[in-house]
Parts: sequence; structure tokens; C-alpha cells
Amino acid sequence: MRKGDYLGNFDLMLLLALLRLGEDAYGVTIAQELEEQTGREVVVASVYATLERLQERGLVTSSLGESTPERGGRAKRYFRITTAGIREVRDARRSLMNLWKGLPELKGEKA
Amino acid sequence: MTPKQPPRIATWMLKHFGCGPNNDAVLGDLAEQYLQKDSAIWYWRQAVKAIPVSFFREIRGHKRIAARALLTGWSMWILAGMSIFPLAFFGTNTGYYFERRDPIGSAWSFMWMPVLGQVGLARPFYLIFTAFANALPLIVGAMCGWLVARFHRNQQTAVVLLFAGSILLMDLLLFGPFILNVKPAVAYHFVGPVAANVAASVLGILLGGGLLRYRSKRVSN
Repeated sequence: MRKGDYLGNFDLMLLLALLRLGEDAYGVTIAQELEEQTGREVVVASVYATLERLQERGLVTSSLGESTPERGGRAKRYFRITTAGIREVRDARRSLMNLWKGLPELKGEKA
Repeated sequence: MTPKQPPRIATWMLKHFGCGPNNDAVLGDLAEQYLQKDSAIWYWRQAVKAIPVSFFREIRGHKRIAARALLTGWSMWILAGMSIFPLAFFGTNTGYYFERRDPIGSAWSFMWMPVLGQVGLARPFYLIFTAFANALPLIVGAMCGWLVARFHRNQQTAVVLLFAGSILLMDLLLFGPFILNVKPAVAYHFVGPVAANVAASVLGILLGGGLLRYRSKRVSN
């Protein structure tokens, strides 16, 4: 595996957010989804920076959507996960599950 | 009713210094979220973080282009500085010299010319000379910034910022130790001219690179 082939934590979270949002995945909804699920503030520009990188790897695609007055006349950019992206998420899940299974108990909880 | 407007200065900064093809989408997303959150602090935080995030993303994604832009800008900077400064300050006591065996010292003396040109002159020449000495780095910076932007249009904002940052860093390394090491009374005379010279250089690059130009709202379909 080449350097940079692994999905980082944020990469994986973004791909999962895209899967959850489906057709309605653009900057605002992705950031909101991540904030709701993680409880942390998300920098919108980081979402785009990571998605751009994932797009270069062929894991997501993007298209321009409509522009609205509340956006100052600026268009939305919608993102969708590709088949390669879904495969990558499945692989990451499998690897994480395998690693998780071998762990002993963590501070009184079952691993 | 028109929607509530986000902080103007933060928007201006992000519009002019935000990098990459998604800057418009980021601006739109922030404007849309601002209506829900209604927090200027949140908007400022997002805008201020967006500039370095998008800048480093662009530079990391286009390393060769960034290196080429730096090479272009610095070549032009050295050429222009070494040809324009000596002509402009011909006959003045700015202490410059050109010695093949001491390229760093020679370059150092050239960089000091606009600053030394301002120090120790009696009024009324002081004001005239100050304006002239600061106009030169501004012009040289604008020429270099224009060239860098012209040859790297797809990554214009990122490479112009990178070049301006490199000049700023060089100025800090060049003038900083001097200011810190001389006596306060001497440093006092230099701080103003040095700051003006550095500001003029960086401003020139940003102006020439087109980053401070008025940009109308783009409506993309």
C-alpha cells in the first residue's frame, strides 16, 4: 500500500457522512452532520480540502448545484461517494473490526 | 427582505485570500450557515481558519507549481532589485556594493538600499525621499507579483500569497536581527523605514498579483 492510501479518521467520517446524506450532501449539510455526530465544531474549509483530496483519489465526485440569495448568489457544490469510495469504506470497516475484536477490555467496558 | 449579511471584513478577507476552486462554495456555505447560527465570532473563526486551510491544501496539491512560482518571483525580484535600486539610488550614500566573492553580502546591501536611503536625510527631502524609496519596493513587488500570477493563473491566489510570504520571511530574517541587535536609539531611526519598506514590498506583490482587485460576486451554474 502506498503512502496516503489509508483513509484518515476525518476522511472516513466524511465518506460516512456522504453515505448518510445521499443526494443532499453539500458543505453545510456535511458540516452539520459531522457536528451532530461528533459534537465538535467543523471548519467548513477543512471539509472541502479533504473532499478535494478524496476526489483526486476517485473516492467522491462533485457537481455544482443551485445558487440562492441566502448564499449571496453562490452555487452549492454537491458531493457523492463513488463505488471505489464505498469499497474503501468497507475495507476500512473490516480492518477496524478485526483490530477491535482482538482487543481486551477497555477500562471496564467490553472492547 | 434581504438576508442578514455576515461580517464584511471577514468576507472580504476570505474572498481575496481564500484559495482553490471551492472558495466560492465555502463563502456560500458560510453565508448560509451564518443565517442559522447568527454569530459573528463563529463566522470570523471559520473565515480566518479557511484561509490557511485552503492555502496549504493548494500548495500541498501543487508542489511543483508552487516551486516554479517561487523561482519565477525570486528571479524577477533579484533582477529588478539589482537593476532598479542602484539606478534609483545612484549617487546616494546607501552603502551598497557588488562583490562576486560575497554574493550574500552584496544581496544584503542591495536589499538595504531603500531603507538606508530614507534614514538620516534632513527635511524637506526626507518626505520626498521616503515616498520615493517606498514606491520602489512597491513597484518591484507589483512587477514580481504580476509575473507570478500571470504564469500560474489556476493557483493564482495561493502562489501569490506564497511568494509574498517568502519575501516577508526574508525581510524579517534580514532586518529583524539588525533591529534587535543595535542600540535602541539607533533602532528607533530604522524601525519606521524598515516597516514601510517591508509593507510596501508585500503590498506591491498583493496588488500586482491581483489579490486586492475588486472581485464581483460570481454566480456559477
